[in-house]
Amino acid sequence: MTTTGSATMSTRTRAGTVPGGAPWRAVLNLAKVEAWFLVRSPLVLAGLVSGLVTIWAWFWLNPAQPMWWVADWRIGAAQLILAMTVLFAAQLAAGRPRRDGMADLYASFPATASTRTAAHLAGLAGVLPASLVLAGGGVALVQLRHPIGTPNLMVLFAGVVLVLAAGAAGTAIGTRFPHPLAGLLGALGLFLPVVLETALPGSAMWLVPWHLHPDELGWIPGRLAGYPPAGLHAAYLAGGAVLAGTVALALTTRGVRARFRALLTAAGAVGAAVLCLTGVLQARPVPVAGLNRLTAETANPISAERCTTASHVRYCVFPEFGQDLSQFEAPVSDLLALLPARPGPLTVEQVLLVDFNDSHLTYGYSQQQVQRWDADSSASISSSVIGLLVGQWPASGNLADADFQVALATAVWAVRISPVTGTGQCVALNQAREAISIWLAILAAHPPAAKLQRSLGWPGGSGSPIQVGNTVVSAWGYPYAYQVTFPGTQFTEAGYLLAKAMTRLPEAKVRQVLTDRWATWLNPRTIDAQLAAALGIALPKTPAPVRASGPVQLPFSVCTS
Amino acid sequence: MTALPHLVRHIARMLPWATLLAGCLTSIALFTVLARVAVVEHDTTVLDQGTVRLCLLPAVAALAFVVRAQFRPLTLVTPVPAWVTSAGQLLLTVPVLVLTCWVQLRILALATGSHPPPADPTYALAVQLLGWATLPVAAAACVARSRYADLGGAIAAPITFVLIAVASYTPGIGKFLVRPDAMLHSIVTGWSAIAAAALTVTCLAMRDSWHRYARVRSRQRQPRPDRVRGGTQRQDAPVGS
Repeated sequence: MTTTGSATMSTRTRAGTVPGGAPWRAVLNLAKVEAWFLVRSPLVLAGLVSGLVTIWAWFWLNPAQPMWWVADWRIGAAQLILAMTVLFAAQLAAGRPRRDGMADLYASFPATASTRTAAHLAGLAGVLPASLVLAGGGVALVQLRHPIGTPNLMVLFAGVVLVLAAGAAGTAIGTRFPHPLAGLLGALGLFLPVVLETALPGSAMWLVPWHLHPDELGWIPGRLAGYPPAGLHAAYLAGGAVLAGTVALALTTRGVRARFRALLTAAGAVGAAVLCLTGVLQARPVPVAGLNRLTAETANPISAERCTTASHVRYCVFPEFGQDLSQFEAPVSDLLALLPARPGPLTVEQVLLVDFNDSHLTYGYSQQQVQRWDADSSASISSSVIGLLVGQWPASGNLADADFQVALATAVWAVRISPVTGTGQCVALNQAREAISIWLAILAAHPPAAKLQRSLGWPGGSGSPIQVGNTVVSAWGYPYAYQVTFPGTQFTEAGYLLAKAMTRLPEAKVRQVLTDRWATWLNPRTIDAQLAAALGIALPKTPAPVRASGPVQLPFSVCTS
Repeated sequence: MTALPHLVRHIARMLPWATLLAGCLTSIALFTVLARVAVVEHDTTVLDQGTVRLCLLPAVAALAFVVRAQFRPLTLVTPVPAWVTSAGQLLLTVPVLVLTCWVQLRILALATGSHPPPADPTYALAVQLLGWATLPVAAAACVARSRYADLGGAIAAPITFVLIAVASYTPGIGKFLVRPDAMLHSIVTGWSAIAAAALTVTCLAMRDSWHRYARVRSRQRQPRPDRVRGGTQRQDAPVGS
């Protein structure tokens, strides 16, 4: 907490310059003390620590690799936590004379109320170190996760302006309402609209202090030109700060010269004008050219990607994601090395899943236009393509799940299962190639044994009933923390149990059996029992599907090609 | 019992009504604006019990300023126990808080109309709100016994917000206490336990005698009157004999 009283008194007693000195000198002296109080305020320090912990939790507990066009807004959201505590601290400091019933005593000091208010506003410089440390610490925490892209300095700057604006608002509140509840309500007033922004129309999203849930940015493969309006939002917050500061000064100026009052009025008008103008400009829709480009990239990603070929496999990634290429290649190459023969060309490409019906992205456009974008962006993925979802790839050091998913998708391609048919998804029910694909993926990616063990009886995945044709069987699914490949493939528990039995046999023996009759094993008519017999093992017993977990999913067809 | 009407009048007058009503009215105003925006935008899916709870935060913050008895040093020397004032004030806030919550639920029902959102039973919502409400009270009661008693509410409210944020957003804790991850029975059990613990802490913190009075009493206890008298007699005896 800050103590205005001690600051005022110390300035007077130390220098004695206030009575005869220039007003700005008194403001400067008081501001230095107030700034120092803010630097070491427990509230400000708590806000700083909470902000850093929040950034750490967002980026280090989330397995996904950060993308800077989302991450810099997240760092700004952490600045919002600091802004709330700064607002409260500033309100407590500005309201102290009246709250403690010492307004008369303060009135007897040489420094007038307006001088003290100006000092409080100038003293907000004391929160800059905390805000800059938070921004710098946030950048460092994100950078350690090897993010995609580069940070936008304007977004980081807007976060710092947010903290200063909150401090000015706190000072304005404190000069009029000294009760601490007013500061708390002010802090909540800053926070609640941000939390509840999903309830606001898309165009009003930028009128709240910060855009807390930039989900729409996580779907795109780079920065969109003109969106988000970082510069305008920084100006919007700066306008709010000027307006709040002017209000604080206006509330405490009595008997001042007309010139000063005119200056104050002009500053208030400028602040209000900037606030309104930038508010209107921010509410403009996302540029149509950017959305058209996004539609084209979603429908045909290769048009915007850079492609390279390695080991006869074509890898296509968006320009920003070049650093991830080697991570995509590793599990594919490992699996290809196990194959007796390749079925044909393979392309591994990044794909986009953009929800054009989200009003945060397409506000301001007609429903017909949105539906057109939605229809134009739908694309069918060929069976020779493995899609990798943008925004889902994990940060390095956490690649086990992703590697297994990519290996599994490659194995599905290798055994010629086309999981998506014209009528929907299909399942290779009681087909030897299903077990072979799982065995190949386990061998290539070496997923953690504990996680494989957990894959049986995983709620919502394994054990739940699925209808394939006219048969209800138990599904199998690996308990991924996130989905990397698109589209996914549905497996059965019978296929996994046979693959698991295969992993207990010597690898050379299994490879020999597979190599000898590779074409036969890829035939959809070759069943699990034939593979088990060729390997000399008993067909594992499959438990009955669990019926208790709700209705049976939509029926799958049996893969026939 | 004859003193009860006087006591109630005194407690009612001492209650910080402006603070309490400011918090509650802010909650209602906030939820009303939100419901209005949702209705205008034809998207009432954002309105549910979770939104009601979130909009009650201002009222919860106001509770942090209720527990402090303004003239506790004075009431300590009266025949009435000192905790009666704080406890009475807390009891008076209950109907105000219930009314605030009821108004918000009515607004929710009016806004969502024929498509009410999926809702937990009333007792589950009540238990969660009880947990939220007892946290600032416990924190403020503890601060009121420290040298920062003047800032009891200002310290207790942020502490409460932090605790609520931790309970809501920490993955390990949230899955037991907050929808949609938590099961109904774990929500009820968890928040009941939190409310019980907070009320226990409140009772302990509000009980009579501040620590400085306790020190005075312990100093007084050392020279017990009978020993002093006896000692005097023993000392005086040789002199008088």
